[in-house]
Amino acid sequence: MKITDPRARSLLAAEYVTGAMHGGARRRFELWLRSDPALRREVAQWAERLETLDAQVPEVAPSPAVWEAIAARVDPARRAVTRNDSAAASADRGGDSWWNRLGFWRFTSGLSTAAVALMAGWLVIAPPPPVEKTVADVRVVVLNDAEANPRMTVSWTPDAVRKDHVRLRVRVIRHDTMDPGTTWELWCLPKDAAKPTSVGLMNTDHTQEILVPASLVPALERASGMAMSVEPKGGSPTGLPTGPIPYKGAKVEL
Amino acid sequence: VTPNDAIDDLMARCVLRDQRAFAELYRVTSSRLLGVAMRIVRRRDWAEDILQESFVNIWHHVGEFDRSRSAPMTWMTTVVRNRALDWVRRPKMEVPDDDLDGLVERWEDERPGPQALLGTKGDIATLNMCLETLSGQQRQSIALAYLHGLTHSELAEHMKQPLGTVKTWVRRGLEKLKGCMDAAGAT
Repeated sequence: MKITDPRARSLLAAEYVTGAMHGGARRRFELWLRSDPALRREVAQWAERLETLDAQVPEVAPSPAVWEAIAARVDPARRAVTRNDSAAASADRGGDSWWNRLGFWRFTSGLSTAAVALMAGWLVIAPPPPVEKTVADVRVVVLNDAEANPRMTVSWTPDAVRKDHVRLRVRVIRHDTMDPGTTWELWCLPKDAAKPTSVGLMNTDHTQEILVPASLVPALERASGMAMSVEPKGGSPTGLPTGPIPYKGAKVEL
Repeated sequence: VTPNDAIDDLMARCVLRDQRAFAELYRVTSSRLLGVAMRIVRRRDWAEDILQESFVNIWHHVGEFDRSRSAPMTWMTTVVRNRALDWVRRPKMEVPDDDLDGLVERWEDERPGPQALLGTKGDIATLNMCLETLSGQQRQSIALAYLHGLTHSELAEHMKQPLGTVKTWVRRGLEKLKGCMDAAGAT
């Protein structure tokens, strides 16, 4: 059984990495991983993406006994003394899963024919969980600076019209100083080289909301991306960007 | 946080069976990795067992680490995570049911604000920025799954929602996250 749909592959890889996938599904996925290098790359990318979450949660210092136990098990000089203990310890734990042997990223062969045959039968009776189709409902623009560093995101749900307005969520991540007497104006950039449309004025706050009239939604939907320009206080006097455009980015539909 | 380059260097020396490099590798990474295991198994003695087993494995298989595939810290984290997930998924394993809401709230609180992000690496800044584009439910379910090792059904039980709803939150959240991070050129 092969999973070919790229979206399904990416999602399954993501669910595998988060650990949300478990039981039989997890074991089946691990079997696919063995014979599918591209799927392993997908998993590696997800591990990389999500590992950043681990970088920002509290560390816990282990007690000294942990290192002593490890050192005793890896140092040949000490191993003679403690071999019996550690052998008992690993027997206790019931052996290693295949990924604990760490061939994980490179393992491609070595399965016996019988195992492959068994697996094939198993996979046929247990197909992968279907990935439901969902409609795109969120738009995100990541605005980068000239060096491609992300500076802010703008996101909105085009269907969520409330009182004739749509709420744009703006997150400013890193910004330059806003010069006195100036303001920042956000523009949506149409696909067809037509003139940009003003979306609204913004400031340097980390979290902001811009309410735009629902009549602007079609222009937002047509936009290929957004840009931010530096304008005199009160916004562009001409209806078009007049100052420098430090940040811009393409729109993605999610 | 020790840069990946330094860890990579230590791992290269471990391949040559350099015990001192291994001790140093343990010194600079073990607290973070124990944190990873603790969040999943929620018991210090179990987490320390997992850490011990993981480091013994890392020592024996460090030669198989492929730096073209993943960053060293990601690789080590994967070893620890998989072992911890395996541990909590054993049949009849009773993981202490502490206050998961509290854990997630704390995580939300501890997520760096804009000031802290000024000094962080691009990846972390991008991830945080992209997490902001998710709904609270999507963000919470991903955090519970990834950081605390909850399965779909545990998520459903914990969030008091039908299984299908929770699966959809996780999937939509992950897809959005990927879309946003790809757009920002993070991976």
